[in-house]
Amino acid sequence: MKNTYLQLAQMVSGALVAVLLGIHIAVQQSSVILGFFGVRVADPLAFSSMIERARQGTWVGIYISLLSLGLFHGLNGLRNILLELNFSAATMRVLTALIIVFGIIFLALGTYAPLVLLGR
Amino acid sequence: MADIRPRQNNLGIAGWIWAGNYKLERYLYILHRVTGLGLILFGIFHLTATTVFRVQGEAVWKDTMAFLDNPLFRAGEFLVVVAFAFHALNGLRLIIQELGFALGKPIPPIYPFKDAPRRKRLLTLIIMAAVMVLVIFFFIDFSAGGWG
Repeated sequence: MKNTYLQLAQMVSGALVAVLLGIHIAVQQSSVILGFFGVRVADPLAFSSMIERARQGTWVGIYISLLSLGLFHGLNGLRNILLELNFSAATMRVLTALIIVFGIIFLALGTYAPLVLLGR
Repeated sequence: MADIRPRQNNLGIAGWIWAGNYKLERYLYILHRVTGLGLILFGIFHLTATTVFRVQGEAVWKDTMAFLDNPLFRAGEFLVVVAFAFHALNGLRLIIQELGFALGKPIPPIYPFKDAPRRKRLLTLIIMAAVMVLVIFFFIDFSAGGWG
């Protein structure tokens, strides 16, 4: 039953990541895309543009949501691949624990930067 | 009585490469897996670059961007976008099929049989065409922005 819910969560998180990552990529490429149509915008990779986005709660919300959902989707996908390799139940428990710890560390690291920049 | 053992047909990672009779859909499954693993690796690299270096201020950020601004990393970035386009749209196909949409009405099993992958082939081809359109779009986009 647990794996059924995980599979459902994998599908839902995948759909949400596709939307949020699509927004992220569109913004990063916006100067080129809009430049093609003759509209000039600031380089999204410039420090000033990045800080401007980092000070807006909406963008911080989008980035933290993308990070959380992306980590879940990626690491649960990795666990699904490992499950197919027929490790013993004990080994799989250790690997699952390692994946969870890895996810928590990267979630903390990825959340720290936007929150620090939001306060600047 | 003969000792009955389960058939040893688990090929492990080697089994990813040989698609047997499953053809296109099985190769898409392998590609979905490979692009997924690639996106995880890139995600870790990207997360490190945008957190550790970003919070250290403008000078470190500019140095990092200058280091990454070369044809090798730009080509890598393009491959990541291509991997994302494929993984996202192929994932959409998998969700549509898993939820039972676009499978057609049930048909009686009359010879010659039409297997499930072939009945879903049209959706697969439409999705792959959409991936190709996105890849061409991003190629033009990256070329317009310069390769480093």
